Amino acid sequence: MRLGHVIGTVTLHTADEALKGGNLLVVQPFSRGHFAGAPMLPLAKGNTVVVYDNLGAGLGQVIGFTEGAEATMPFTYPIPIDALNAALIDSVSYNPPAA
Amino acid sequence: MQLARIDGTVTATVCHPSMRGCRTVICQPLDAEGRDDGPPVLAVDPHGAGLHQRVFFTTDGSATRDFVRDPHSPLRNFVLAVVDAPTGAGSQR
Repeated sequence: MRLGHVIGTVTLHTADEALKGGNLLVVQPFSRGHFAGAPMLPLAKGNTVVVYDNLGAGLGQVIGFTEGAEATMPFTYPIPIDALNAALIDSVSYNPPAA
Repeated sequence: MQLARIDGTVTATVCHPSMRGCRTVICQPLDAEGRDDGPPVLAVDPHGAGLHQRVFFTTDGSATRDFVRDPHSPLRNFVLAVVDAPTGAGSQR
Protein backbone atom coordinates (compact mmCIF):
# COMPACT_ATOMS: atom_id res chain seq x y z
CA MET A 1 0.00 0.00 0.00
CA ARG A 2 1.20 3.55 -0.74
CA LEU A 3 0.16 6.95 0.58
CA GLY A 4 -0.95 9.79 -1.64
CA HIS A 5 -2.79 13.14 -1.70
CA VAL A 6 -6.09 13.38 -3.56
CA ILE A 7 -5.54 16.20 -6.05
CA GLY A 8 -8.53 15.74 -8.33
CA THR A 9 -11.31 13.54 -9.64
CA VAL A 10 -12.10 11.90 -12.98
CA THR A 11 -15.58 11.94 -14.51
CA LEU A 12 -16.41 9.41 -17.21
CA HIS A 13 -18.98 9.88 -19.94
CA THR A 14 -19.27 6.21 -20.74
CA ALA A 15 -17.86 3.57 -18.42
CA ASP A 16 -17.82 -0.11 -17.69
CA GLU A 17 -20.89 -1.22 -15.79
CA ALA A 18 -18.74 -2.41 -12.88
CA LEU A 19 -17.38 1.07 -12.18
CA LYS A 20 -20.74 2.32 -10.89
CA GLY A 21 -21.01 2.96 -7.17
CA GLY A 22 -17.64 4.61 -6.69
CA ASN A 23 -15.64 7.48 -8.11
CA LEU A 24 -12.21 7.92 -9.58
CA LEU A 25 -9.67 10.07 -7.79
CA VAL A 26 -6.50 11.61 -9.17
CA VAL A 27 -3.83 10.88 -6.54
CA GLN A 28 -0.23 12.07 -6.30
CA PRO A 29 1.87 9.60 -4.31
CA PHE A 30 3.87 10.84 -1.34
CA SER A 31 7.45 11.97 -1.50
CA ARG A 32 9.68 11.33 1.49
CA GLY A 33 9.06 14.93 2.61
CA HIS A 34 5.31 14.30 2.69
CA PHE A 35 5.84 11.33 4.96
CA ALA A 36 7.70 13.65 7.30
CA GLY A 37 4.71 16.01 7.37
CA ALA A 38 5.40 18.51 4.59
CA PRO A 39 2.29 20.28 3.18
CA MET A 40 0.66 18.91 0.03
CA LEU A 41 2.20 21.57 -2.23
CA PRO A 42 4.71 21.31 -3.84
CA LEU A 43 3.56 17.91 -5.04
CA ALA A 44 6.01 15.05 -5.30
CA LYS A 45 7.54 14.22 -8.63
CA GLY A 46 6.48 10.95 -10.18
CA ASN A 47 3.45 9.48 -11.86
CA THR A 48 -0.02 10.48 -10.80
CA VAL A 49 -2.31 7.51 -10.17
CA VAL A 50 -6.06 7.27 -10.86
CA VAL A 51 -7.56 5.38 -7.93
CA TYR A 52 -11.02 3.83 -7.67
CA ASP A 53 -12.61 5.00 -4.45
CA ASN A 54 -15.70 3.83 -2.59
CA LEU A 55 -14.75 5.28 0.79
CA GLY A 56 -15.53 8.86 -0.19
CA ALA A 57 -12.18 10.63 -0.01
CA GLY A 58 -12.21 14.39 -0.52
CA LEU A 59 -9.80 16.74 -2.24
CA GLY A 60 -6.53 17.20 -0.42
CA GLN A 61 -7.13 14.16 1.76
CA VAL A 62 -4.39 11.61 2.44
CA ILE A 63 -5.36 8.10 1.38
CA GLY A 64 -3.70 4.69 1.39
CA PHE A 65 -4.16 2.95 -1.92
CA THR A 66 -3.24 -0.52 -3.12
CA GLU A 67 -2.24 -1.37 -6.66
CA GLY A 68 -2.22 -4.38 -8.91
CA ALA A 69 -4.50 -7.41 -8.83
CA GLU A 70 -5.12 -6.90 -5.11
CA ALA A 71 -7.15 -3.80 -5.97
CA THR A 72 -9.86 -6.01 -7.45
CA MET A 73 -10.03 -8.45 -4.52
CA PRO A 74 -12.77 -6.69 -2.49
CA PHE A 75 -15.18 -7.00 -5.40
CA THR A 76 -17.21 -10.12 -6.09
CA TYR A 77 -17.59 -9.19 -9.77
CA PRO A 78 -14.90 -8.53 -12.37
CA ILE A 79 -13.86 -4.85 -12.26
CA PRO A 80 -11.32 -3.17 -14.56
CA ILE A 81 -9.25 -1.30 -11.96
CA ASP A 82 -5.68 -1.61 -10.77
CA ALA A 83 -5.61 0.94 -7.95
CA LEU A 84 -8.06 1.04 -5.05
CA ASN A 85 -8.46 3.43 -2.13
CA ALA A 86 -8.18 1.11 0.87
CA ALA A 87 -7.91 3.63 3.74
CA LEU A 88 -8.53 7.26 4.62
CA ILE A 89 -5.45 8.11 6.63
CA ASP A 90 -5.94 9.92 9.94
CA SER A 91 -2.36 10.36 11.06
CA VAL A 92 1.12 9.53 9.86
CA SER A 93 3.92 9.26 12.41
CA TYR A 94 7.17 8.99 10.52
CA ASN A 95 10.57 9.22 12.21
CA PRO A 96 13.39 7.60 10.30
CA PRO A 97 16.75 7.24 12.11
CA ALA A 98 19.02 10.26 11.81
CA ALA A 99 21.15 9.60 8.68
CA MET B 1 10.32 -11.19 0.94
CA GLN B 2 11.97 -7.83 1.36
CA LEU B 3 14.28 -6.66 4.13
CA ALA B 4 13.04 -3.36 5.59
CA ARG B 5 13.25 -1.06 8.55
CA ILE B 6 10.22 0.20 10.47
CA ASP B 7 10.18 4.02 10.20
CA GLY B 8 6.77 4.85 11.60
CA THR B 9 3.11 3.98 11.85
CA VAL B 10 -0.11 5.10 10.19
CA THR B 11 -3.62 5.18 11.62
CA ALA B 12 -6.83 5.00 9.57
CA THR B 13 -10.28 4.62 11.07
CA VAL B 14 -12.10 4.47 7.73
CA CYS B 15 -10.47 1.58 5.92
CA HIS B 16 -11.10 -1.84 4.49
CA PRO B 17 -12.33 -4.17 7.27
CA SER B 18 -9.38 -6.52 6.76
CA MET B 19 -7.02 -3.80 7.98
CA ARG B 20 -8.70 -3.49 11.35
CA GLY B 21 -7.10 -5.10 14.38
CA CYS B 22 -3.53 -4.80 13.09
CA ARG B 23 -0.96 -2.04 13.15
CA THR B 24 -0.11 -0.44 9.82
CA VAL B 25 3.59 0.37 9.75
CA ILE B 26 5.76 2.34 7.37
CA CYS B 27 8.50 0.03 6.05
CA GLN B 28 11.60 1.47 4.42
CA PRO B 29 13.00 -1.24 2.11
CA LEU B 30 16.74 -1.82 2.58
CA ASP B 31 19.42 -3.22 0.27
CA ALA B 32 21.95 -5.86 1.30
CA GLU B 33 24.21 -3.24 2.92
CA GLY B 34 21.35 -1.84 4.97
CA ARG B 35 20.99 1.38 2.99
CA ASP B 36 17.56 2.82 2.04
CA ASP B 37 16.35 1.33 -1.22
CA GLY B 38 13.30 3.01 -2.78
CA PRO B 39 10.30 4.81 -1.29
CA PRO B 40 8.62 3.72 1.98
CA VAL B 41 5.83 1.15 1.74
CA LEU B 42 2.97 0.47 4.13
CA ALA B 43 2.52 -3.00 5.58
CA VAL B 44 0.32 -4.68 8.19
CA ASP B 45 2.33 -5.73 11.24
CA PRO B 46 1.08 -8.46 13.60
CA HIS B 47 4.36 -8.77 15.53
CA GLY B 48 4.52 -5.32 17.06
CA ALA B 49 7.95 -4.59 15.64
CA GLY B 50 9.59 -1.59 17.25
CA LEU B 51 10.70 1.65 15.61
CA HIS B 52 13.82 1.28 13.43
CA GLN B 53 13.66 -2.48 13.87
CA ARG B 54 14.53 -4.59 10.84
CA VAL B 55 11.81 -6.81 9.50
CA PHE B 56 10.97 -8.93 6.50
CA PHE B 57 7.74 -8.07 4.72
CA THR B 58 6.13 -9.97 1.88
CA THR B 59 4.62 -8.40 -1.24
CA ASP B 60 2.51 -11.43 -2.01
CA GLY B 61 -1.19 -10.61 -1.89
CA SER B 62 -2.36 -14.16 -1.45
CA ALA B 63 -0.16 -14.70 1.61
CA THR B 64 -1.54 -11.48 3.06
CA ARG B 65 -5.12 -12.51 2.39
CA ASP B 66 -4.47 -15.85 4.10
CA PHE B 67 -2.97 -14.03 7.05
CA VAL B 68 -5.80 -11.55 7.57
CA ARG B 69 -8.23 -14.41 6.87
CA ASP B 70 -10.18 -12.30 4.39
CA PRO B 71 -10.25 -13.49 0.77
CA HIS B 72 -11.49 -10.03 -0.22
CA SER B 73 -8.69 -8.02 1.36
CA PRO B 74 -6.95 -5.51 -0.94
CA LEU B 75 -3.81 -5.67 1.18
CA ARG B 76 -0.55 -6.82 -0.32
CA ASN B 77 2.26 -6.33 2.18
CA PHE B 78 2.54 -7.74 5.65
CA VAL B 79 5.41 -8.14 8.06
CA LEU B 80 6.41 -11.81 8.13
CA ALA B 81 9.32 -11.72 10.54
CA VAL B 82 11.30 -9.45 12.82
CA VAL B 83 15.08 -9.75 12.29
CA ASP B 84 17.07 -10.48 15.47
CA ALA B 85 20.68 -10.29 14.34
CA PRO B 86 21.64 -10.12 10.67
CA THR B 87 24.48 -12.52 9.78
CA GLY B 88 26.54 -12.78 6.58
CA ALA B 89 28.07 -10.11 4.37
CA GLY B 90 26.05 -7.09 5.38
CA SER B 91 26.00 -7.89 9.08
CA GLN B 92 28.43 -5.24 10.30
CA ARG B 93 25.95 -2.47 9.59
